[in-house]
Amino acid sequence: MDADKPIIETRDIGIRFVKSRRRQLKLREMFIHGMRRQPTNESFWPLRHLSFAVQPGEAVGVIGKNGTGKSTLLRLIAGVLIPDEGSITVRGAVAPLLELSAGFSNELTGRENVHLVGSLHGLSASFLKRKFDEIVEFAGDQVQRSIDTPVRHYSSGMKVRLGFSVIAQLHHPILLVDEVMAVGDKEFRAKCYATMERLLAEGRTLVLVSHNEGDLTRFCTRGLFIDGGELQVDGTIREALDAYNGLVRA
Amino acid sequence: MTSGVVAVWSHRSVLRLLVQRDLTVKYQQSVLGYFWSLIEPLVMGLVYWFIFGVLYGGRAVPPGPSYAMFILSGIFAWMWASTAMSEATGALTGQARLITTMKVPREVFPIGRVLARFAEYLAGLPILALAAVLLDADFTWYLLTIPLAVLLQGALLVGLSLLLSSWNVLLRDVERFVRLAQRVLFYAAPIIYPLALVQDSDLPHWVKVAYEVNPLTGVFQLHHAAWYPSELDWSLTAVSAVGCLAVLLVGWSVFRRLEPAVLKEL
Repeated sequence: MDADKPIIETRDIGIRFVKSRRRQLKLREMFIHGMRRQPTNESFWPLRHLSFAVQPGEAVGVIGKNGTGKSTLLRLIAGVLIPDEGSITVRGAVAPLLELSAGFSNELTGRENVHLVGSLHGLSASFLKRKFDEIVEFAGDQVQRSIDTPVRHYSSGMKVRLGFSVIAQLHHPILLVDEVMAVGDKEFRAKCYATMERLLAEGRTLVLVSHNEGDLTRFCTRGLFIDGGELQVDGTIREALDAYNGLVRA
Repeated sequence: MTSGVVAVWSHRSVLRLLVQRDLTVKYQQSVLGYFWSLIEPLVMGLVYWFIFGVLYGGRAVPPGPSYAMFILSGIFAWMWASTAMSEATGALTGQARLITTMKVPREVFPIGRVLARFAEYLAGLPILALAAVLLDADFTWYLLTIPLAVLLQGALLVGLSLLLSSWNVLLRDVERFVRLAQRVLFYAAPIIYPLALVQDSDLPHWVKVAYEVNPLTGVFQLHHAAWYPSELDWSLTAVSAVGCLAVLLVGWSVFRRLEPAVLKEL
């Protein structure tokens, strides 16, 4: 990997969503309204003209009001959305902590799911076998007790714990975190913080979306403030937070 | 498309996992487990044999083993085609949460469904062989038509799965449409009745041409040819090969083109 090149680089990216129309367009509607009503293609840009570069090892916080495209930005970086404009280059594997229990199959047991999700994220079978006890222990004794029951019977908190434990084992250089720390109880949150700090100390790159000022100032050095789909402030986390607070108060 | 194939190939471990999960989940809560993938075609075969073999006297069955073998060789392959089509249609919509959090080539999801159903087809082959022994079929070099049929059918199903799964995200009606189309397709190809019945019928010429242009016709003739050598027709196979390849190419390019829109909708 090139050390001097930014690990995440976006050039003038934009993504367009179509308001309500294409979504669940049914044949029935097409028959009833004919093709005439279709061109009500009201589209909007949750994000547009975004350009920034993140260097390896940086910790970036993304700030903005609800619905300003913060999560969309994470998805673009994770590569699970494709921009309509501009280009995005990510040099390295991404560990997405977007939706922690996403890969779980409800019918499979916790044990099977750890192996499945772990391998889907690129962990080898032997590594998972070695680390299995550690992963389960990290998830807490509640999960430990029911590791051989189907995930269907887990509480949502238990699923998130197990999901986080698996993803915390990934060696990917880029971490994308979307308010996952808001879930889970106090004890688990403390574990999450410790893990995040360990990962950052190892020199990983972090992009964090959060509304929690404490989290942001704790982990991030740099802040991106997004409003109206465009990048307003790209500076230190303090500057970005000030801009955000100024907007909220105004 | 080549870049897509390379991307899928480099993620073949993910593909294997998805197939594994698919099969474990499917058979986990059933007592008979994978035997269901055998019971279903066998029972269906029995029904069709009763109607067309016993009641209608199995007209125009090509020389070779009994009509029951003809039905079985068709129906096992059809089970793969039909289950793959219906399950691939929901491959993207049903796994939306996984797709929107994991960066893997999205093609693996529909292709994985096709492969999982193919695994069931493979599991059924010993039963087909057993049936062949019981029904006095000959094991000849013509059995090599089966791998060829599998290859063509695989290409066709992958193309269809890419097409249907991406369309289904944008237009949920596709699911219902596929269910209907399956019923039509089942009778629109020589699966449980011999091709000769169509060729010798009074249907207008263009209908017969359309019937033979259907890539499934050539595929199923190959499946039958393993046991009924007279069914092997290379020109029909060539037509089918072109058709299967065309569907694969169209399916893949449509998938690529719709991918950005599909991801937004998931």
